[in-house]
Amino acid sequence: MQITSVIKNKISAVPRVSVETRFKRQVGLMLISPWLIGLVLFKLAPILASFFFSFTDFHLLNPDQIQFTGLQNYRIITRDREAGIALWQTIQLALVIIPLQTFASIVVAAMLSSRQLLAKNTMRMLFFLPSIIPSFSAALMWDGFVDPSTGWLNRLILGPLGLESLNHFSYGDASRLLFIISSLWTIGPGILIMMGSMQGISTEIYEAAHIDGAGRLKRFFKITIPLITPAIFFSLVLNLTAVFGGAILLDRGSRWRNDFSSYDGYVNLVLFDMFKLGYASSLAWVFFVIVMIIVLILFGTSRRWVYFPDREN
Amino acid sequence: MKRFLNVLPFNVFVWILLVLYLAPVFFMIVTALMPTSQLDDKKAPLYPARIVPYIYDGQDYQLYNVPMENGTQPMALIKPGHTASLLIDPQHPENGLIEWQGDWRTLAGVYEFHIAWENFSHLFNSMPVLKMVGNTFMLAVIGELGVLCSSIIVAYGFARFSLPGGNLLFYVLIATILIPDKVTFIPTFYMYIKILQWRGTILPLLAHLFFGNAVYIFLLRQNFKSFPVDLEEAAMLDGAGPLRRLVSVIMPQAWPVVITVSLLHFFYTWNETRLASLYLGSSSSWLPVSFAVQNYQSLTPIQNVIEASTLIMLIVPVLILFLAQRYFMQGLIITGAENKQ
Repeated sequence: MQITSVIKNKISAVPRVSVETRFKRQVGLMLISPWLIGLVLFKLAPILASFFFSFTDFHLLNPDQIQFTGLQNYRIITRDREAGIALWQTIQLALVIIPLQTFASIVVAAMLSSRQLLAKNTMRMLFFLPSIIPSFSAALMWDGFVDPSTGWLNRLILGPLGLESLNHFSYGDASRLLFIISSLWTIGPGILIMMGSMQGISTEIYEAAHIDGAGRLKRFFKITIPLITPAIFFSLVLNLTAVFGGAILLDRGSRWRNDFSSYDGYVNLVLFDMFKLGYASSLAWVFFVIVMIIVLILFGTSRRWVYFPDREN
Repeated sequence: MKRFLNVLPFNVFVWILLVLYLAPVFFMIVTALMPTSQLDDKKAPLYPARIVPYIYDGQDYQLYNVPMENGTQPMALIKPGHTASLLIDPQHPENGLIEWQGDWRTLAGVYEFHIAWENFSHLFNSMPVLKMVGNTFMLAVIGELGVLCSSIIVAYGFARFSLPGGNLLFYVLIATILIPDKVTFIPTFYMYIKILQWRGTILPLLAHLFFGNAVYIFLLRQNFKSFPVDLEEAAMLDGAGPLRRLVSVIMPQAWPVVITVSLLHFFYTWNETRLASLYLGSSSSWLPVSFAVQNYQSLTPIQNVIEASTLIMLIVPVLILFLAQRYFMQGLIITGAENKQ
């Protein structure tokens, strides 16, 4: 609703549009119309509908007895301990996983772009490989790998290094650590984005810096990093939305393990085990608002650290 | 040669990182090849192996390393016991049964390299795998057609035409990437199941793809923007319409990113289980292979059989990744440049 009115204002603000521009706009609108229809059908309408549901006691099993309950669902959320814990765990995980994924994809992309690397394509493919493993299978592999008696972690890595062997990975901090480490198996698209961005930097800049006596590390931090900030920003945003259950660049299916994807898992529980569509909608809306606030903050700071070539002209 | 020695330390470092990174994959492969008897045997080696079998009197027995008076000997264990066991010397079976004092469970087996190929047939015996692979390919082909055509056209619109509201619609596009899908999920789910009665059909898995995918549109648009406009202007002067310009000017330059996007979408389709489990249910004749295998894995208690099915499931995507690596690995280009025109 709001968006169309904004568009109308914009159009009316421009007094005379030439015939050619108007034609170009019409063609443009025609071209993006599939997406515009999808936007209304699959985004705007459902968002508004779930906003409406969030004020009702909508139940999947008796949808006809839907009743308007006002702010009751939101009042329940403020007292819902489980929702609070789930949300807090999700935020904690996001704070660790997102910087880790971003850092790792920069480092790996830098290694894979290095001129010293032999068999470049093969190495790139091998580093990308874990990102196409379904997350359910990946979880099974990691569980098997760290299994205290038959896995390899204790026998091949911790044992020979003289470290204490770990006894369990099924609950508590150890399981969270495992989840964080295994989240590195999703950085493939991030690596691609960083690599594409690094290849876009002209070699002349590096050569000039080299002549001026800048060492390898200095060149990396003073040239590479600032010039790939758009890619870093994009992958930060994507990792963020992936952790919070938005669009994922390379979706590998779900794990259905509620203890990890906490908030998502809690909404699933309310939805599929209790069938409370109304309450689940209000939970989802609270989450939506939180994610949007985080994204807006991120976009707000982007002007300070993301390099936009346009603005220099 | 000198160059090779110069770059060697760096490459060794990268290889070590890679081995650590892929360690669970190696674990999966080795486990998939292991006989079931090896899984709980802590004395067994790390490679796929079994205890050497020995046939005595028409029966199967196994060889163990037994400490005897004249050193440790490989002996066939005939009757295991906690305090005393009956053994036979495979070199001299004519000596008959030998009694040995001690707990047989302290003994280590005599192992030989052995691959349990039968692990792989379990999956094929329990479901029509090839038919399900066919289902997945069907979903992939329809989905690719829908999502590529729509995303490419929309991306072209965003890349080359000034739209009402300037960049506003483009920001809306980016914003839709960031919406947690739980917010849109409940009404969509309700609409598909209760209003449209689409449960059990593949329509809920495909319908949204025909309206473009925001992430793909974004990636394609960024790429289209980086192409020079001269050729298009020349084509326009020759009277080529927008779609004509898209097909004959943009597409010939854009195929690396189009391949990348179609691969991303293929991997997504191959691994998709969420929508399948929501809308298809486990009895549909349209089951995609990933969902069926995931069900199978969660119901199978034996680890080597599970890992064998994982390995089977990886064949197709790895093959495709391998064949397409040249295009795929060029990377995705994201720049901050918005107004190159």
